[in-house]
Amino acid sequence: MSIFTEKVGMTRRQFLKGTGMLAVVAIVSGVFAKIGFDAFAASDEYIAQRAAGLYTLDEQMTIRKSHENPEIIQIYEEFLSPGEQKYLSEKAHHLLHTKYGKDIPSFIDELKQHQDVA
Amino acid sequence: MSEDVIKGKVLKHDTQTRTMHWIHLLAFLILGITGIGFYWDIAGIANIFGGPANSSLVHRWTGVVFTVAPILYILLNFDRFSRFVDTITSFSKDDFAWLKTMGGYVPFIKVEEVPPQEKYNAGQKILGILIIIGCLLIILTGFPMWLWRDVVAPATLALCYNIHFWTAIIMILLVLGHFFLAAIHPKSRVEFSSMMLDGYIDAQITAEHNAKWFAELQKTE
Repeated sequence: MSIFTEKVGMTRRQFLKGTGMLAVVAIVSGVFAKIGFDAFAASDEYIAQRAAGLYTLDEQMTIRKSHENPEIIQIYEEFLSPGEQKYLSEKAHHLLHTKYGKDIPSFIDELKQHQDVA
Repeated sequence: MSEDVIKGKVLKHDTQTRTMHWIHLLAFLILGITGIGFYWDIAGIANIFGGPANSSLVHRWTGVVFTVAPILYILLNFDRFSRFVDTITSFSKDDFAWLKTMGGYVPFIKVEEVPPQEKYNAGQKILGILIIIGCLLIILTGFPMWLWRDVVAPATLALCYNIHFWTAIIMILLVLGHFFLAAIHPKSRVEFSSMMLDGYIDAQITAEHNAKWFAELQKTE
């Protein structure tokens, strides 16, 4: 019984076709990759510019820390903790610390209990 | 064509080709199944792969296998790849005549004699070209959907999804047709073992189905 096998190697025509197809695939893939990496770079640049803008806005503000805000200090000294700046005072806790979701009904009840104090 | 029966076997697909075909087939099956699960939101499919998140991971990394396997094969077997590309991109009068008769595979087209074919018949050549284009489209749209989804424009991403989906649907139909002709159709199912098992096919069948190629093989004997 004979066993028939293909001739190993390739002709010039076959080589050129194989190389040509690889080249086309490489070029198309390269163009796709370039578009993607450019999009990545543009995105990174946008994020950097946005972050820089936020930092610049922050730096330009006159009052940059809430606990140094004269109005806040005045509210604490005259109302939330009379005579002093006690930031976690009982009244501040009840009035300024809020609750969410299923805790809201109990929070409303709590506020009602303290409405005379406020 | 000679009336004498030719005794012997033809090594149609060598080990590396068969291995690559197996790997690509398994990867394609996993990708197809997980992909169908994503598109139609079929929980049963996602759960086979450990839930939607794991199914997505399996799809992506199988996509890497689907991409790397043919690249490795081409780099390690450039001569075979070149011969394959040359064959599937060369269309002769016999190929067009084969297409007119559909190679005798279609029941209602009466065929007296099928024109002699090369290693791959005209239908297989067209399938080969479509599979290469389809794989490229799926790979080139798949990776941006994974890696660049946060940086490309939504319209670009939507285009990638559409191309990816429709190419996959066409590819699944092509592969189903390929499977039917290579494994079920009585005229050509002998091809199945040559690609999926030992690589050999009967010489007489090759002489009938791939007469031009067999004549070349006889010259090299």
